[in-house]
Order: sequence, then structure tokens, then C-alpha cells
Amino acid sequence: MWQTINKLSFRQMIENLTPPATPDVLKRARDDFPILSRTVNGKPLIYLDNAASTQKPQSVIDSINRYYSHENANIHRGVHLLSTEATAAYEAARKKLAQYLNAGDESEIIFTRGATESVNLIAHSFLEPLIKPGEEILISHMEHHANIVPWQLLAERTGGRLRVAPIDDSGNLELDTCLSMMGPKTKLVAIVHVSNAIGTVNPIEAIIAKARENGIATLIDCAQSIQHMPLDVQSMGCDFAVFSGHKMFGPTGIGGLYGKRSLLDKMRPYQGGGDMISHVKFDGTAFKEPPSRFEAGTPHIAGAIGLGAALDYIESIGRETICGYESQLIEYAVNRLRSCQGVEIVGNPDHRSGAISFIMENAHPHDIGTILDTEGVAIRTGHHCCEPLMNRFGISATARASIAFYNNSDDIDALVDSLAKVRALFG
Amino acid sequence: MRADLQSLYRETLLEQSRNPKNNYAIEGANRRSELKNPLCGDVVTIYLSVSGDRIEEASFEAQCCSICRASASMLTTRIAGSDCLCAVSLAEALIAFLNAPESDIFDKDDSLQALSGVKAFTSRIRCATLPWEAFQKAIAD
Repeated sequence: MWQTINKLSFRQMIENLTPPATPDVLKRARDDFPILSRTVNGKPLIYLDNAASTQKPQSVIDSINRYYSHENANIHRGVHLLSTEATAAYEAARKKLAQYLNAGDESEIIFTRGATESVNLIAHSFLEPLIKPGEEILISHMEHHANIVPWQLLAERTGGRLRVAPIDDSGNLELDTCLSMMGPKTKLVAIVHVSNAIGTVNPIEAIIAKARENGIATLIDCAQSIQHMPLDVQSMGCDFAVFSGHKMFGPTGIGGLYGKRSLLDKMRPYQGGGDMISHVKFDGTAFKEPPSRFEAGTPHIAGAIGLGAALDYIESIGRETICGYESQLIEYAVNRLRSCQGVEIVGNPDHRSGAISFIMENAHPHDIGTILDTEGVAIRTGHHCCEPLMNRFGISATARASIAFYNNSDDIDALVDSLAKVRALFG
Repeated sequence: MRADLQSLYRETLLEQSRNPKNNYAIEGANRRSELKNPLCGDVVTIYLSVSGDRIEEASFEAQCCSICRASASMLTTRIAGSDCLCAVSLAEALIAFLNAPESDIFDKDDSLQALSGVKAFTSRIRCATLPWEAFQKAIAD
């Protein structure tokens, strides 16, 4: 740590510890989130657990309330007005998502319960019929369990093989090795865009380009990038992208996936049931076109509408604004934590977004989390559903602070001040 | 410091955490059980040397928080030299005690009272019970 600091001039140090200016459009944003004005343990809530779940603006809460108060009915199958309105609102949310991600067509957006279900859907409906024994799925060492376990289960069912691209000691993907692991046997590359645990932003452009050259399908886990930076699936060129609504200011229980229509057309259903069929006979059933083919049963209508409202809210601020401000705030947080006695940041990636993991010499992450909670500071502690990544760093858990656009430098300062109380107790 | 935090991290517990007793693996242990808390990744291994109905020696290894380490230290100290059935009853009683807000079955001067601070922190109760559950598993296996 001191070596790093010694390399910096005094002026640079001062600059790096200067709080970022909050853009005007974000100054009032905090007021849009009612929960952020509550207290926790008698202290103002400092919410730094956004990688686990983000808070919801009033407009999202109102949209769900309005749906249940005025529009509630089942979709796609009623002739009455409420059903028509509910269907229009649900499909409008799909259209907003398609625009948000710049999908070629709104039928390329499938609603699911979240990123986890999206990965499972792709495993079942896309890869399982294609993969043969000995063929490979390539992931990275920094994946969330949701982008590991579905592939392990698939490998068990099919005789496929899961391969893991390594990361270096800084928490960067070893890109050359990753690219060299793509070969004739590779059927899918499934890579996280931004690590939920250590905040690494992966070079997905290079990965997707190499995969496309080799005819390998690509899945990008955007659960931790979609809320922090502009995403354009067409310019990214990926085949699939997955995300969760509750991590982007929307409700829990809703999320989705983007899939290229040419692939979705060839894919088998994920679940069978109502709303995904064109006709059913006892000797055989014909399925609807995408996206309906993959949305069996009554979906989370209120959730989709709430997610649509969340997208409207994000767009009202502007994703470029969010991305620019958060980059400065996360850098400020890194520098403040670096200057904290006894704190060691886990991972020092070249490009970081959203999250910082750290450990302390004498205090276990759970003890850090408990003490911070009594100060009103909410962080995450544990393995963050990334046990292989924790093992890579030789630890079982970290404390993680993760930001959203409604956070500011005061929140980071409160975090750092609270860590002094941890140090006072544990040394 | 807040009273509940002070109660959680009372000095006797911190002392046991900083300088835990019986923090080693027993070579040739005839009972061994590893238990993981999947919520956080903490892991505790309990080693027992049992002769007849008597626990001759008890020890632990752990990758865990201060509460869990102190609890494992207290467990292994308490059960060494005791009868298996008595130790199992103690484990059951302690787990029930920590999970029941009103329960007060231990004497005020019982050293295990040092763990009772977790009652005010629901998410930390398992940190205290994990070594005791691992012990139960070691006996049951």
C-alpha cells in the first residue's frame, strides 16, 4: 500500500482524495428513493449494498401500486379492458427494455425471474440440445455461482466440459489465455461483464470478437453492468445477455435476457404451460414464436411494469451521466479505503465498476459488517456467491461496498469513519 | 459503544477469539466433522478423541469470524473430559438458548453466557452455533 502511495505525488494524492462533484441531475435523485431517508439503528441509512440489490425510486413503487389499483388482470388472453391495458403495459415494458439495450427487435427480450433463471433458460433451451460429450463451455474464474452451477449441471447431463479462464493477482481476466482457450470444442463462452465481488470490468469486446471468429456462441452476464453503464447489445455483438431487475432499481422477481432472434427461433421451450403455445393436442403441441415460447404461465406482470418504470427513471438521469459520476465516486472510494489503516482491498483491476471488496487485518468481514450496521452503514459480507474467486485470493470472505448513482462522497466518508470503529475494537 | 454491540463483543469473547484454546487438529482423532455455513462461507472442523463414552480431547480448526472462533474455543474447552451424552445435551441446550430470545437456562456466571450477545443480532446467531452443530454432527456420524 505505502509503495503505491509513495509513487504518487502529493498533488495527485490530494486530487485522488477530492470528492467528486455531484452532477445537478443527481443532487435531488436521493429524494426520489423513500427508503434512503430512513434510519437504521438510530443512524441515517448509508446504503452501500447495491450490488446485492438496489433501492427503488418512488416512480417504480407508484407504477406497481397503479397496476394493482387500476389495471390488474391477466395478460394476452382477455377481451376485457383491464386485460387489454395490462397486456399493453407489460409489452410496453418489453419494448422499453429492447430500446434500453438497443436490441434489434423487442421479441429478442424474454422476461424471466432474473439473471439466474435467464442463464438456466439458455442452458436448457439453447446449449443442451447442441452440446456433445467432450465439448466445452468456457467461463472465467470470477463468475457468480449463477454462471457456474447451471453449466456444471448441464455438463453432468450431457458429458460436456466446463473450462475456466484464469485471472491474475489483481483480479483481471488473463485475456490471452482466455482467448487461447476458445477452440473447435468450445460451444459457448459465458462471461461476466462486471464482477459482483471485486468490480472488475471484463474486456468483453475482445472475447466476443474472438468467439464470433470461431463460431462460438456468447453469453454476457450483465447483472452488474446494466445499471452502471450504457449497453448496446448490437454493437457488443453477443448472442445472449442476462440481467436482473432488482439490481437496476426495479422490483425483485423480474429480470430477463436478450437473445438474438435467429437463435431464439431455433430454441426449444424452457417450461411448458399456458401462453407459450399456438395450439395443444394430445398427440402434440405447437409452440408460439419468441418471446412467448419462453414465457410459460402468467408472468410477473407487475414486476415487468415496475422494471419499465425503472428504465424510465434511469433514462431521465442519463446513463452517460451515471457512468461518469460513478467512475469518479468508485475511484474516490478506492483511494479513501487505500488510505485506511489496516484495510486491504481485494483485487486491483485495471477497470472497475460498482464494487470494492476489502478485508481487515484483525477483523473478519462479518464482524466488520455487524459493526458498520450499528453505524447505519449497510455493506455485504461473505463470499458474494463467488466461492471460486474467494479461493483464488486465498480467503473465505470479504467485506464489500457497492455503489449506485444515489450514493455520494459523504457515504464513502461514513464508511471509512465506521471502519475506524472496527479498528478500535479489533485492532 | 452501543450496549448491544458491547454485549456481542464482550471482552471475554474477544479474548477467546484472539487467543483461542484448542485451535489445532488432533492427529488420530476418531471423530471429525467439518461444517460450513453456506450463507457466508465460514467453515469449522471439530476434532474429537473419544474413548468409550468419554471425550478425552476436543479441538477445532476454523476459517471464521470472531464469534464463531470464540464459540469453538469455549465448546472444545467445555466438552473435553466430559461424557458424550452430557456434551450432546449441552450442545442442544446452548443452540436452543441462543435461538430463543427469552430463554435463560444458563447461570449468569456461566462462561457460555459470553455468547448470548448474538441474540440481539439475528444474522449472527449461526456464527455462534456453527461449532456446536459441527460437534453434534461429529458425535452423530
